[in-house]
Amino acid sequence: MATVREKGYTHWEGRLGERRFPWWPITRTGILLAFRKKRFKFVFAVAFGPAIVALVGLYISERLEDFKAFIQDSNLIDIGPKYFATFFMNDWLLFMILLVLAYGAGGLIADDLKHNSLQLYFSRPLGKKDYFAGKMSVVAFFVLIFTALPGLLLIVFKLVFAGSFAFFLQYPWLPLSVLGYSAMLTVFFGFYILLMSALSKNSRYVFVLTFGTYIFSTVLFGILNGIFKTPYMALFSIPANLQQARAFIFGLKLPHAFPAGWSLAVLAGICGLAAVVLNRKIRSVEVIK
Amino acid sequence: MSIEVKDLSFRYGKIVALDGVTMRLGEGAVGLLGPNGAGKSTLLRILLGFLVPERGEGQVLGYDIRREQAMIRRSVGYMPESDCFVAGMDAVTFTAYFGELSGMPRQEAMKRAHEVLFYVGLGESRYRLLDTYSAGMKQRLKMAQALVHDPKILFLDEPTSNLDPTGRAEVLELIRDISAHKSIQVLLSSHILDDIEALCETVVILNKGKLAAEGRMADLRAIRYSLYELRIKGDGDAFRKDLESAGSRVDEMEDGLIKVYMPEAADPMDIFRAAGRTGAQLRYFVKSRTSLEDLFAGVVGVD
Repeated sequence: MATVREKGYTHWEGRLGERRFPWWPITRTGILLAFRKKRFKFVFAVAFGPAIVALVGLYISERLEDFKAFIQDSNLIDIGPKYFATFFMNDWLLFMILLVLAYGAGGLIADDLKHNSLQLYFSRPLGKKDYFAGKMSVVAFFVLIFTALPGLLLIVFKLVFAGSFAFFLQYPWLPLSVLGYSAMLTVFFGFYILLMSALSKNSRYVFVLTFGTYIFSTVLFGILNGIFKTPYMALFSIPANLQQARAFIFGLKLPHAFPAGWSLAVLAGICGLAAVVLNRKIRSVEVIK
Repeated sequence: MSIEVKDLSFRYGKIVALDGVTMRLGEGAVGLLGPNGAGKSTLLRILLGFLVPERGEGQVLGYDIRREQAMIRRSVGYMPESDCFVAGMDAVTFTAYFGELSGMPRQEAMKRAHEVLFYVGLGESRYRLLDTYSAGMKQRLKMAQALVHDPKILFLDEPTSNLDPTGRAEVLELIRDISAHKSIQVLLSSHILDDIEALCETVVILNKGKLAAEGRMADLRAIRYSLYELRIKGDGDAFRKDLESAGSRVDEMEDGLIKVYMPEAADPMDIFRAAGRTGAQLRYFVKSRTSLEDLFAGVVGVD
């Protein structure tokens, strides 16, 4: 009989414990695996571009005298809720978040489906909720690091550059808006990315599906708006619904002429749909009836 | 008893996968045998809590399969049939990862991962990406992840499938070492009779979702059937029907050899009487020792 053993088997002396957050190893590993992907670090670094630009704008706003020669219209860098809302909703930031997620988190479930590893997870003392929480937290990490973290840091830098708390006293709710909007983006993108990831076993298809759905929704909005001439068609567009929600959270004028609640309902509906699909897709045994 | 199930039933839609299975398994290596679709994997999945039985109850190491799944999974190492790994990982990270998910502290899991990878013979390639592993290496990797948390029971689902003879021998040797010397009970599900025969003292045979036979291999061989091998000249069909009407099972091999499985109480002279009645000439007659294959054919009806 062939022997492959290079060492004998020894029993483990330790004791298996119950973790408070059994999903944490899934999250940590998911983040580390994303950074092991080729070129991911570059994409990740570039995604901080909008935050750096916003920080520069913030610095300039406090040093207008120094930059007088370069700035024609000082209203452009009027720091207030709108400035933060603009930072959060600029196309570049959303595009980069989507790129980072599609690239780094698109395979979160797709790879597990492809390589049959769900049964390995569920042969451990893990439930569906733990698995889902672990994967969702990977998405949350990437969304929050590009939204809440720079958003709050920008407020802190604004106070540091200004050397007073006047800005904070003027807009005391702004940190909450930053956190609220970041949380909303986290929940939405969490469900959206995991939904896309569960729809295919190939992470490249997931990448295409993620961007395709996002862009197609906007194209659909354009077409339907052209035909029906009603702002309600914006409900078909993911970015338009995010814009509407953002304006609502930051207390700004709504970009589309319908209540923000409609957009929030659409976004919640997408999350609900994702939860149903994920519940069906994430199972320890693939049952073919 | 480490595993005990009573009246266990499960169906996938309209297809009955398990139908009222009742059994009690003790220590040592137990073979779970049956043709494809017999319900072996379904039984393992129910024991692990992957599937909820439609009817019946069961316990693994005293833990209820319906209510205490987490405790069962903590005590059981599971090696699935299909290839499974996490892309982009090396073997150490992979094994430690699943150790950690089992409840091991991170550093302990990492240390233990090195140990079990050396044990299964992947020590030298433990830092290689799993995507580059051969079929045999992936099989041993699955074994490593099943062992990393030092389980009390190992569920092995077709552990030698898709392996070349060398790889198969290596995996069987590992299983033998674990079950014989490491006080880890092994439940080995397979449709490969030789694997079960080589490793297990006790066997459970499932067929079409039902328990076909259960017990110690030696006992099953001895008491179930008497096997006779013969060759005849004459009307084979009439001879066969005569024997079958008397309660025997008759299988004809491709080379013309006829295997007659007679109930233990039956008289071997009945074969000669049947030959006399149907005009068949007996050209060869020998009482054979029943192998597991014969036992399997006797209860399941598969050559």
